[in-house]
Amino acid sequence: MEENKEHKSQAIIEVIDFGPLKIMGNFILKDLKRDTKDSQGEVWLCRCGKSGNKPYCDGSHKR
Amino acid sequence: MDREDKQFSGGRKYRNDEITVYWKPSACVHASYCYRELIEVFDPGRRPWVDMNGSTTAKIIEVVNLCPTEALAWKWNDDEKNGLVGSDQLNHIKFRRPELMNTNDSVPEEHPVSIKVMVDGPIVLKGNFTLVYNGNKKEVQESIISICRCGASDHQPFCDGQHRKIGFND
Repeated sequence: MEENKEHKSQAIIEVIDFGPLKIMGNFILKDLKRDTKDSQGEVWLCRCGKSGNKPYCDGSHKR
Repeated sequence: MDREDKQFSGGRKYRNDEITVYWKPSACVHASYCYRELIEVFDPGRRPWVDMNGSTTAKIIEVVNLCPTEALAWKWNDDEKNGLVGSDQLNHIKFRRPELMNTNDSVPEEHPVSIKVMVDGPIVLKGNFTLVYNGNKKEVQESIISICRCGASDHQPFCDGQHRKIGFND
């Protein structure tokens, strides 16, 4: 492995306008309240505060 | 105003008999570890918001060390206890923390991005990642950002601490 290489982006974090936060790539997600861990390839996190399935988006922002 | 609540460059400091806690608001990402763990000392709704008499020195140190940014740091008032690192550097104790010391040249660049969903608070992201928002693409390298989860931030998509004011509850 080369040294002093630029830090390679490990994940793409996309803020969807009027929608959730989309996370794709290499990550470890920790939900501190529910003490759960998730490292799936893609998750959608609620940004509106209304989801019934926090921290995940359930489409409530549209309602 | 508390006599101990004195300003230093870009922030404030708070003392008890043993240690001084440094607070640099510009570095805060509202990860909210401090008041969640020790509201007796760190109460954002109070002025001054840090009360050094609210708990023991050991507990205050423990909670300041939880801060993922440089917003909170501490050092011993007795400089000899601060070891060999220059006392002019406010965050030197923080930089001596093992997990932060480990970031020299051999940074494993394949480290997954750490994403923490704070209880009743924001999403705190740490590492190397690409942030896409408002049609912009930004490379974030070795740093920390926090994203609003309550919907009330005036600084979208970033957290500005509003969740506490509106009583956002998971």
